[in-house]
Amino acid sequence: MGESHDDIDQMFSTLLGEMDLLTQSLGVDTLPPPAPEPPRAEFNYTVGFKDLNESLNALEDQDLDALMADLVADISEAEQRTIQAQRESCQSQNHASSLGASDCGGVTSVGYAANVTAVGISPYEDDLPPPPDDPMLDLPPPPPPPEPLSKEEEEAQAKADKIKLALEKLKEAKVKKLVVKVHMNDNSTKSLMVDERQLARDVLDNLFEKTHCDCSVDWCLYEIYPELQIERFFEDHENVVEVLSDWTRDTENKVLFLEKEEKYAVFKNPQNFYLDNKGKKEVKQTKEKMNAKTKESLLEESFCGTSVIVPELEGALYLKEDGKKAWKRRYFLLRASGIYYVPKGKTKTSRDLACFIQFENVNVYYGVQCRVKYKAPSEHCFVLKHPQIQKESQYIKYLCCDDARTLHQWVTGIRVAKYGKTLYENYQRAVARAGLASRWTNLGTVNTAAAAQPPAGLRTGTSQPNGQLPRDAPCLSDALRESQRQADTSKVGPEGQGGHELPDRPKAAFQASTALAASPYSPKH
Amino acid sequence: MAGMKTATGDYIDSSWELRVFVGEEDPEAESVTLRVTGESHIGGVLLKIVEEINRKQDWSDHAIWWEQKRQWLLQTHWTLDKYGILADARLFFGPQHRPVTLRLPNRRALCLRASFSKPLFKAVADICRLLSIRHPEELSLLRAPVKKEKKKKEKEPEEEVFDLTKRLPRPGSLADKTQPHSRWLDSSRCLMQQGVKAGDTLWLRFKYYSFFDLDPKVDPVRLTQLYEQARWDLLLEEIDCTEEEMMVFAALQYHINKLSQSGEAGEVAGTDPGLDDLDAALNNLEVKLEGSAPTDVLDSLTTIPELKDHLRIFRPRKLTLKGYRQHWVVFKETTLSYYKSQDEAPGDPIQQLNLKGCEVVPDVNVSSQKFCIKLLVPSPEGMSEIYLRCQDEQQYAHWMAGCRLASKGRTMADSSYTSEVQAILAFLSLQRAGGGGSGNHTQGPDASTEGLNPYGLVAPRFQRKFKAKQLTPRILEAHQNVAQLSLTEAQLRFIQAWQSLPDFGISYFMVRFKGSKKDEILGIANNRLIRVDLAVGDVVKTWRFSNMRQWNVNWDIRQVAIEFDEHINVAFSCVSASCRIVHEYIGGYIFLSTRERARGEELDEDLFLQLTGGHEAF
Repeated sequence: MGESHDDIDQMFSTLLGEMDLLTQSLGVDTLPPPAPEPPRAEFNYTVGFKDLNESLNALEDQDLDALMADLVADISEAEQRTIQAQRESCQSQNHASSLGASDCGGVTSVGYAANVTAVGISPYEDDLPPPPDDPMLDLPPPPPPPEPLSKEEEEAQAKADKIKLALEKLKEAKVKKLVVKVHMNDNSTKSLMVDERQLARDVLDNLFEKTHCDCSVDWCLYEIYPELQIERFFEDHENVVEVLSDWTRDTENKVLFLEKEEKYAVFKNPQNFYLDNKGKKEVKQTKEKMNAKTKESLLEESFCGTSVIVPELEGALYLKEDGKKAWKRRYFLLRASGIYYVPKGKTKTSRDLACFIQFENVNVYYGVQCRVKYKAPSEHCFVLKHPQIQKESQYIKYLCCDDARTLHQWVTGIRVAKYGKTLYENYQRAVARAGLASRWTNLGTVNTAAAAQPPAGLRTGTSQPNGQLPRDAPCLSDALRESQRQADTSKVGPEGQGGHELPDRPKAAFQASTALAASPYSPKH
Repeated sequence: MAGMKTATGDYIDSSWELRVFVGEEDPEAESVTLRVTGESHIGGVLLKIVEEINRKQDWSDHAIWWEQKRQWLLQTHWTLDKYGILADARLFFGPQHRPVTLRLPNRRALCLRASFSKPLFKAVADICRLLSIRHPEELSLLRAPVKKEKKKKEKEPEEEVFDLTKRLPRPGSLADKTQPHSRWLDSSRCLMQQGVKAGDTLWLRFKYYSFFDLDPKVDPVRLTQLYEQARWDLLLEEIDCTEEEMMVFAALQYHINKLSQSGEAGEVAGTDPGLDDLDAALNNLEVKLEGSAPTDVLDSLTTIPELKDHLRIFRPRKLTLKGYRQHWVVFKETTLSYYKSQDEAPGDPIQQLNLKGCEVVPDVNVSSQKFCIKLLVPSPEGMSEIYLRCQDEQQYAHWMAGCRLASKGRTMADSSYTSEVQAILAFLSLQRAGGGGSGNHTQGPDASTEGLNPYGLVAPRFQRKFKAKQLTPRILEAHQNVAQLSLTEAQLRFIQAWQSLPDFGISYFMVRFKGSKKDEILGIANNRLIRVDLAVGDVVKTWRFSNMRQWNVNWDIRQVAIEFDEHINVAFSCVSASCRIVHEYIGGYIFLSTRERARGEELDEDLFLQLTGGHEAF
């Protein structure tokens, strides 16, 4: 791609960002967007200088102003064209976005700023307080008029400011932006401006603002590859632009915004991943009863130590042989360092294991309808591939599990091994975000959106009603009852001379209970 | 007071003679005889002893040890009656702190004075304070192994040089792994009570695998000792790992050795004396590169250094017999482009590859002067393979460094480029020395000492499986990924990888479960108990501490009974170690789990002793 082409892309992106901002601040709720105003002192400039500082310093004050004016003028022509294009596309797409209430959850596609011919900007349907200003789009004031003051200091100061401003703008111009079309589950789409510094978390927050959904932790950005029939959710810490940059120009891939329970299932019910001992009965029974306190300690144990504990996972899976149609059953084990298998005639002790794959360069995806496409033994497939691979290739690894439960355990296990503590931090952030949202509604902050779209009621898909506290908040009364029970049962064993209580309750309660049991080991005299 | 007598010399009070030996349990030692009554206080007795000895010396550390009862008389306000001391008591007036030889986790011996009168828990805390190791509750002392194992200890070298010829004894079976755990000392009793003598050798080890608040900033000693314990665990095959994991462990050890030898913990590039010439040669280069390296705010806008040269390229394809061909190759930012010739360079390249996210594999044989870089470049269609063949070490090092950085999305403008080039050159020289080439040591005396001895870094079974020249490149390869770590980062990484092993932190005991007729293995970890089949080695059952209600010890029949939620009861008798050790292990882990997340909290020693003690009555 030529340099000039790049420039236009960027201008286009910046312009879109600006329009977005304008629409927001003006609170437009009618169909046609406001006639785009000629951009203020906004310019794009991507040239590599040997020493930019020096060359800028060498310029006279007036020259500096002139440079900026030039830059603005230079791009105005390009703007006119793009503005025209936008106006048309906006009108055509507004119908879709006027669906309002049912916006949440959806289906999707991404357009590159470069190759999207018609990009829709959905105006806001309500007067919600505007989202926190994206620092990215913050427009600096236009260059100040030439100072009438003759003081050298002030001149120097003004010049320094201008240089600083120019540098910032140049840096700004280097920031890559994409217009991403996100598909909702009602088949509508929303287009977002995503800059290269934004993480999936930022984009989600942005979408929360736009859709007024319940902000539960299950919401995720989801990428699907129709061609490869694979899909996965973005991890909240992933850089969205980076991921999308791997897509090919003519891609059919899409980004969806939807709720997936699997995303943080490991934190909501860690016992399903950490205590699932090959289907032992008694374990399964206790599993459902696990209380919040125990879950919390299990999470703490697994994710808060010096190193994260990867769920113990092993079992026979089917592996699609490289480039062949056959599926071969092998015994696989998950370790923090990768996936291993047991070679023929060997045992599953560490020393005999052969490495199947390490996670550094691959992402894990869910396979969709692999049974039809690849003659997989079951529908429950996961796929490991380098994020850049977009077409069928022998470098893509297909694995097939016997059931959905095993599949989720493997995919989650791999994510824990690959991302480690980051995953837990993501979850905590998501919980905080969800908690904030529910408190917001609890406080009865009436927003105009609430009137227009009755909250929660219409959304059947949401499992967590608004206003509920994050579910893993420990329940005080539970803990009290528990410690009471503990104290009651703290009798000395019939045959023993020393009984030992477990201090897993608040310390005070524990000490009370040990006091009862303390008599057997009275100090000797 | 005691000793009142009549004019004829008969004692008229109820006083009697008490004989106290001076020294450490030596019956031949000098003794003093005092006249006391049952009401005499220990403090008074102590004073009298010192008077009798009549020697100028600091007696403040001395106390009375009652041999028959195996007890220190430390309560100075107690009377002899209260202690129950009669004239036949064998008492020794000796120092409470006595010298012991301590084997630290890094296998080095340290002589120090340890308290023989405080409960071991406190004595260990004192030792740890001396060594500035935080969280002493995680450590404890073991008796040194006796007899045949004693030999092993002598063989254990200060400088850990493994060799195939003198293989270290290693635990093979699970049953062997239970042995060390029979030697743990009792935390609630003092060393004296446990028959430890002055001058004995004891091992200091991390006993509980639950490392609280490990902070590289404040825990340098703790971190190092923990690293050493982890290292020996792996080298002695106390814990198993896979080949891939072993290479990473070996690379980290190599890196840590290098950093600690050079004594510059913070510096990345080692300063091996053997590389001095090389360093000198590189200095020019460094200056050159630094000159072009951007330092100001405009770094992202300045030109990025690029590489241009004639390289031979080979692209393996099906149905092709073509070999390496000379091309003009330009490497700019993270993109590699190649042209038919230099003249065509301004035009369109034959191919352009963005190396971001690619796999870089060296294919080098120093002795035959083969310097290839194999690139596995991801593209939408899959991975494309391409080989670059360089002429010499210098060229190879620069292109290789560029490729490595590019694969991580960084350019040659990155500040780490120079050190990367240097590391690769060091890598090559090591390969020359470490048997990576022809394998014979003809490089002079330097070769064996400066080079990497891969056998010192991997467990014996890998020594048997691979030759040194096979190991060296693999270790150095893995080293590339950790070469940028500082000393503490590398140690922490090592510990983390160790903790991530599935068998990490399990202490094994041979037990017999109630109702079972064969010995089985009980594994105790920081969060669970496991039952392991002794023959097969499979985990049969797991019980988690979080489901545990209480546990009881019947000291008479040496049986531990544990009750879990939902009325699950488990009982077993201990075979390989005393049930006291098993009991203390469980109680210790329960205690450790009560530690608050907050730092700096005082150790709740009473709680610990409550949870781990309870057998004094026995």
